[in-house]
Amino acid sequence: MSQVNQETAQGISEEREARAVVYNFLSSLFAKEVTSDLVAQLTSAQGQSFLNSLALEPSLTGSIEGIKAKFAKLNSEESLLELAADFCGLFLVDGRASVSPYAGQYVSAKKSAEPSVETGSRSKKDKIQIFGELHQKMTEFLTDNKLQIHSDFPEPGDHIAVILAYIAHLCVTAEPKEQGHFIKCYLMTWLSDFTQQVNEHDHGLFYSYVADLTLAWLNVDTEFLPNN
Amino acid sequence: MKWFKNLWQTLNKPAKYLTLGSISLTAFIMGVIFWGGFNTAIQATNTEEFCIGCHSMESKPYQELQKTVHWSNHSGVRATCPDCHVPHSWGRKIARKMEASSDVWGWFFKTVNTDEKFESKRLEMASREWGRFDRDDSLACKNCHNYDSMKWEDMSKLAQKQMKRAAEKDQSCVDCHKGIAHILPDMGTARAPELIAEVGTGPSKFDAGQDYFTALTKPLFFSSNGDVEAGTLNVATKVKVLESKDNRVKVAINGWRKKMGAGRVIYLEFGINMLTAQLTKDAARAEGVINGFEEKEDDMTGLKWQRVETELWTDAEYLITEQQPLWDYARDTFRSSCSVCHTQPDEAHFDANTWPGMFQGMIAFVNMDQDTQALVQKYLQQHSSTFVKEKH
Amino acid sequence: MKEIVMKRRNFLKGILATSFTLASAASVLTPLTALAKVGAKKRDDWLTTGSHFGAFKVKRKNGVIDQVKPFDLDKYPTDMINGVKGLVYNPSRIRYPMVRLDFLLKGHKSDTTQRGDFRFVRVTWDQALTLFKQSLDEVQTNYGPSGLHAGQTGWRATGQLHSSTSHMQRAVAMHGNFVKKIGDYSTGAGQTILPYVLGSTEVYAQGTSWPLILDNAKTIILWANDPYKNLQVGWNAETHESYEYLAQLKEKVKQGKIRVISIDPVASKTQDYLGCEKIYVNPQTDVALMLAIAYELYSNNLHDQKFIDGYSLGFDRFVPYLTGESDGIAKTPEWAEKITSVPVDVIKDLAKTMVAGRTQFLMGWCIQRQQHGEQPYWMAAVLATMVGQIGLPGGGISYGHHYSSIGVPSSGAAAPGAFPRNLDEGQKPIFDSKDFKGASSTIPVARWIDAILEPGKVIDANGAKVTYPDIKMMIFSGNNPWNHHQDRNRMKEAFHKLECVVSIDINWTATCRFSDIVLPACTTMERNDIDIYGSYANRGLLAMQKMVEPLFDSLSDYEIFTRFARILGKEKEYTRGMTELDWLKKLYSECKTANDGKFVMPEFEQFWQDGYVHFGEGKPWTRHADFRDDPEINPLGTPSGLIEIFSRKIERYQYDDCKGHPTWMEKSERSHGGPGSDKHPIWMQSCHPDKRLHSQMCESKEYRQTYAVQDREPVYLNPEDAKKRGIKNGDVVRVFNDRGQLLAGAVVSKNFPKGVIRIHEGAWYGPVGDDGSITGGAKVGALCSYGDPNTLTQDIGSSKLAQACSAYTCLVDYEKFRGKLPQVTSFQGPLEIGA
Repeated sequence: MSQVNQETAQGISEEREARAVVYNFLSSLFAKEVTSDLVAQLTSAQGQSFLNSLALEPSLTGSIEGIKAKFAKLNSEESLLELAADFCGLFLVDGRASVSPYAGQYVSAKKSAEPSVETGSRSKKDKIQIFGELHQKMTEFLTDNKLQIHSDFPEPGDHIAVILAYIAHLCVTAEPKEQGHFIKCYLMTWLSDFTQQVNEHDHGLFYSYVADLTLAWLNVDTEFLPNN
Repeated sequence: MKWFKNLWQTLNKPAKYLTLGSISLTAFIMGVIFWGGFNTAIQATNTEEFCIGCHSMESKPYQELQKTVHWSNHSGVRATCPDCHVPHSWGRKIARKMEASSDVWGWFFKTVNTDEKFESKRLEMASREWGRFDRDDSLACKNCHNYDSMKWEDMSKLAQKQMKRAAEKDQSCVDCHKGIAHILPDMGTARAPELIAEVGTGPSKFDAGQDYFTALTKPLFFSSNGDVEAGTLNVATKVKVLESKDNRVKVAINGWRKKMGAGRVIYLEFGINMLTAQLTKDAARAEGVINGFEEKEDDMTGLKWQRVETELWTDAEYLITEQQPLWDYARDTFRSSCSVCHTQPDEAHFDANTWPGMFQGMIAFVNMDQDTQALVQKYLQQHSSTFVKEKH
Repeated sequence: MKEIVMKRRNFLKGILATSFTLASAASVLTPLTALAKVGAKKRDDWLTTGSHFGAFKVKRKNGVIDQVKPFDLDKYPTDMINGVKGLVYNPSRIRYPMVRLDFLLKGHKSDTTQRGDFRFVRVTWDQALTLFKQSLDEVQTNYGPSGLHAGQTGWRATGQLHSSTSHMQRAVAMHGNFVKKIGDYSTGAGQTILPYVLGSTEVYAQGTSWPLILDNAKTIILWANDPYKNLQVGWNAETHESYEYLAQLKEKVKQGKIRVISIDPVASKTQDYLGCEKIYVNPQTDVALMLAIAYELYSNNLHDQKFIDGYSLGFDRFVPYLTGESDGIAKTPEWAEKITSVPVDVIKDLAKTMVAGRTQFLMGWCIQRQQHGEQPYWMAAVLATMVGQIGLPGGGISYGHHYSSIGVPSSGAAAPGAFPRNLDEGQKPIFDSKDFKGASSTIPVARWIDAILEPGKVIDANGAKVTYPDIKMMIFSGNNPWNHHQDRNRMKEAFHKLECVVSIDINWTATCRFSDIVLPACTTMERNDIDIYGSYANRGLLAMQKMVEPLFDSLSDYEIFTRFARILGKEKEYTRGMTELDWLKKLYSECKTANDGKFVMPEFEQFWQDGYVHFGEGKPWTRHADFRDDPEINPLGTPSGLIEIFSRKIERYQYDDCKGHPTWMEKSERSHGGPGSDKHPIWMQSCHPDKRLHSQMCESKEYRQTYAVQDREPVYLNPEDAKKRGIKNGDVVRVFNDRGQLLAGAVVSKNFPKGVIRIHEGAWYGPVGDDGSITGGAKVGALCSYGDPNTLTQDIGSSKLAQACSAYTCLVDYEKFRGKLPQVTSFQGPLEIGA
């Protein structure tokens, strides 16, 4: 192997890892409440430079700046609890001001597999049972990849944090074509609907920025994936 | 409550609940060397293989044993057939071997060689063994389980109470712990066995002039030896023993009756529907059986009541010296049985004449035999707001 | 193009270079470990379980419940089992322990005015249970046991081990003493009056077996009774065996062998099924009708004087009232017609029919869930006494044949016990004070809101005085009082006064939303348990096999309170050192011992493998036959031992609303010309639902959609009344009175007479703002978006005797809803206050 090829291979590998880092980062923000540890990390110089590096991409700049501003204000127990209440009201209960983190509440598995048939969007009041077809589908994907959901995260497989973490896994293990196909079928079918709802209901704005960031990142990232 | 059953459960549970510390591992040493050759021969018969070779046990008692804590436990000490069934003192051992020959005969003549036959003989065989344990104060048990080295603090309050009472009398273990190594035989018509296990069957001798309490609902007779029943004496009723004869005692029963019908139901007190005795129509009408005294009208119903006394005979058993153990048992039964569906009401929430109505409306949901039902109802009445004045 | 790729590469490299800080953020994914342990059964075999709705079998797919089918022995399964999946996989599952934010920040000094409409945060089980304990500490320290009410209990889920109320009460009792209830919302008046009259609560007693009724009865009177609707559910796993007998009855009605006469303001489901005779009676006027029948019997000498003399007391003191000698009003059929709208001829004919042959009275519970609810039950007993057939097969009176298969012959087997509700012998609570500060430790079940609002007030109840305790904290487990209690807006005011409310449930009920600490219990599908098959039939023993692991962070009731006991330092006292499996084995083997020699039961392991033990059929039995046979030896539990037509005991209480004999009394609200009907002319009937067990199952969306109208609970309307208001089938209707307002979906039906509507109780409460906006639901007077009838009902005691709930004394009016239709908020988690 020539040195150039080696460099290219290393570069590709680094790219994949970098993307995996971002997907895992987004996954973790949807998985649980912001802790004081996370605040400390992200407000440290290193954390800031990580966020700044993301902000270099113009379409991400706005939401990153928003997140940074919010983090700067998370300086008390009470402010963290307020943010935790935002998280709880949005993602941990099913309410008129909540946003379901489950793909199955937006699209059916069948529609997911054939996204071209129609948009596949479900109106909010049509909420169906959880742990449905998409949970089953995701469980199969994970099992095939010798993965399972961590016992500390007792959520259905179609939770957005699981899907993002699974994409992170695909980033370093799967061909770009496969990555692109999965993202298109199982995330892009509902992500903008999800993001829109977060924007509608999140009065604290933090999770609006996170959702915006996620959607913008996906748009940037998938540009370079085949099958797009 | 139901401590016998609970204990039975405890002893049947997987061994992890019986800690090493709670079992006294008094080592037992089989055989005594200087008995020489004869002893060796006897010793050979003291192995499981020997027992089950002839004792037709492979299908039944041996397998039952294997499901119990005496077979498998984390102390690693296993009780095998001879540990329980062959006495550890030589004299008794010889006698026992002779006795066991009837088991061999039993096998030989095919009396217990099928499941059905074994089951039909189970109670008989078990009774023989229980009798033997009784005679030697459960020595075979006490070789491992010693009253002196029991860890009282690890026991529940109830278990402590029961075990200490037993320890004081060095009571035979199988008095209570029947069915711990093999399936408990069908005891047939034994009434309220858990109640009796708790309160006992009463003394064997009665002092004339002393008060006793019925542990079960008991038949009443006209005479010391006749078969003609004069009625029934309700559970937890105080009677005075007047004399003993053969297997019966003559008791004096006092109370009040309603002047209606044949007037054959005797209640505890004027105006209070707590059952003391029910006489047959013949008994109630017979001259001189019931002696009537003063009469009063119950303002709450308009019914006339009359104070009465009667003297009748009853079997000299299930008459105990204290009433409190009956109430203790009834209280536990009430609190556990009547809380399955809802919080049981406080005893003093109703009066003595309301409790029968409340209690009878609910008994479809509880498992109580007739004696226990009668006892619990009487307990509730005795501890009702009629007698216990406290705010609730 | 290459430039873009390079730019992207650099961008990503920049991320990677700075990303080490995130190494600690653990992924939600982890390498696959060994598959979950395979149980005794293969994962995809059919497993058995039971519920109030019946027993059923479940097949799983990848650890998720896939198919549900009725249990093999259930010949008349209810379609409610189609709703079971929707209970388990409900989007509104309580997923994690949660605490109301303001409560977390300010504890017992939090702002309680926004209860029902506030923000929650997720906490760990340890945090939640510690907060729970600290609240108990605070209440016991500051107020003593009268500050805590942990006695308000409800229908739980089935299962003898995990029964939610037993666990909650045993665990809380380890901490301290508390206020408890007496009675229940279903039969409060009946179970209080009948011990005075028939010497037993009757409502929960086994009744004469159906085969004997079918063989001997010539006439069956169904009085306000709808067994065909109500027998779908039971206290334990329901066998539905009564339906076999109802089918036989239908056949006998068709053949003209038995006359069934249903006396009811509405045409019930049972009437429709049996095709029986119907007599319309004005709501709440049943006592007047009964009195007129009694008058007719007495004045024509049709009553059984011999039976009255031999088996009852006080008829002589009742007759002067009947004839009008005592109050100047003879209770004639003419008198009753004006009140009841039942024609004189019909009343006279009813009297003759009742004594023409064997007549079995089967009373429903509705008519005692009203003001003076004691009276119809007492008067019906008097009527049955005058007919003189009590204790005969196919005669006499029953108050329970519509409940849990009462009347199905019992197998006679012993049922299993349950996890203990009480402390074990010798155990003491941490706070052992029994000082209720002069207040009562037990209060009538439906009077707790009164107590919160008016602590210290003294009321009459069943011959005693009850002093309301000053309640500061309440604990609910498997219980939804925001369904079963009356007058929501009054409840809101009361809840503002509570310092702490704890709820344990599976889905977000309104009770949970009005709580401070909310704990997720798993459903019966997510734990192992055992249950009796058939509460009264005792047909067998049912294994309730765990189908799936507890969803989210939910736990079984056993586990929740074992952890709580651990925090109290009393775990071993709580569990007796036993696991869930140890307890199951214990309950099973105790049952086996109790049935020894009578019913064959295999070893536990075999039972669990089979899923069921059958106890066989039972023998027919006649209620009160022993009393009839010998009233001296088998007296009733009344003060006299006889049927008490007149109760001196009640007379001595000197209550104006419950006298010494059954009495017709006007109600505080009554339709069809009664008080208040000029303002709100419609009587609202809020009977037990057809498609739920109380409020259980309402949240099951797919199943709810089979009966909901525009997402709302159906309100059944009379065609003429509806037309007058411009309402047609399928419209959304606003139902209102001075107490509250709700939206419901119109079902116009000839089954409902003029002046009567029905909304089934158990419709989940979902308040929204007056203008239909999603905020403002916490306000007093808010509109219920789904149709909970208890938004409108009265919170008054039946009388000074029973102090039972009076949900059926309720007048309303309704109109077509023309505003912007608000979203239904009943089936959701906590609502967030607007920004």
